[in-house]
Amino acid sequence: MDTSAIPILAMLKQRLGYLGERQRVIAQNVANADTPGYAPRDVKAFSFDAAMQSQARVAAGGVEPVRTAAGHLAGGPKRISSSTVKTVKQLDSETTLDGNSVVLEDQMIKMSEARMQYDAAIGFYQKSMALLRMAARPPGR
Amino acid sequence: MPQVKSQADTAMAVAASGIRAQQARMRIIAENLANASSTARTPGGEPYRRQVPVFEPRAVSGGEGVSMKRVAMDAKPFRTTYDPGHPSANAEGYVQLPNVDPLIEALDMKEAQRAYEANLNVIETARSMEMRTLDLLKR
Repeated sequence: MDTSAIPILAMLKQRLGYLGERQRVIAQNVANADTPGYAPRDVKAFSFDAAMQSQARVAAGGVEPVRTAAGHLAGGPKRISSSTVKTVKQLDSETTLDGNSVVLEDQMIKMSEARMQYDAAIGFYQKSMALLRMAARPPGR
Repeated sequence: MPQVKSQADTAMAVAASGIRAQQARMRIIAENLANASSTARTPGGEPYRRQVPVFEPRAVSGGEGVSMKRVAMDAKPFRTTYDPGHPSANAEGYVQLPNVDPLIEALDMKEAQRAYEANLNVIETARSMEMRTLDLLKR
């Protein structure tokens, strides 16, 4: 069974991908905390509404265009992947004289935020898996 | 076979490059402090000139790490004192002293230490996130 066919698991997978990417971007910012002219980056905020809408389309089955020629691309609901995460420049609270805008404190806050959210997503994943296991267990055992 | 790197691995590699860069910076600070009163070898010559590390972003295993691009020389003027008996004194009896200010070096050192600790923190967090993911396999 493909677990990403279950909406909540697919969403959690995307969430984990997003948070992992965020952690990677923060690592880059911290490593370049003393690089002249470096502008810190952050990943584009995860939009729950957008994720919900794409999930709703998946759940509803969506409308798939018919492929009448071999050259046509397959339509239908978009696949979810962590590579849809966008990285954008986001300056911290201050810029030093050499043009560097990384503030270590801000980055540390973002990092612990990402870590806590990651832990939460993992927790949700475990709970969902427990639900699946419960559903798969024979009754009375 | 293409090598698959997890984001946590990349984060750790990037943080490791940061640690290396800060260590190189520490080495330069140590050199500056050690030579804070190194005068010229020849009479009237130039004393030790303060070195400044310059960092630049560098690609490391799928991320943007950091490396020390070059070591620049501080253009600040030298201090001079009147000491005609000194072996490096010039014809007028003045000795040029290095443009190293121990106070600035000490502050730089603190900053390097702080950045080093931040990078260590990143490694620790990336590790714990990966461990949490691996914990999913336990049950």
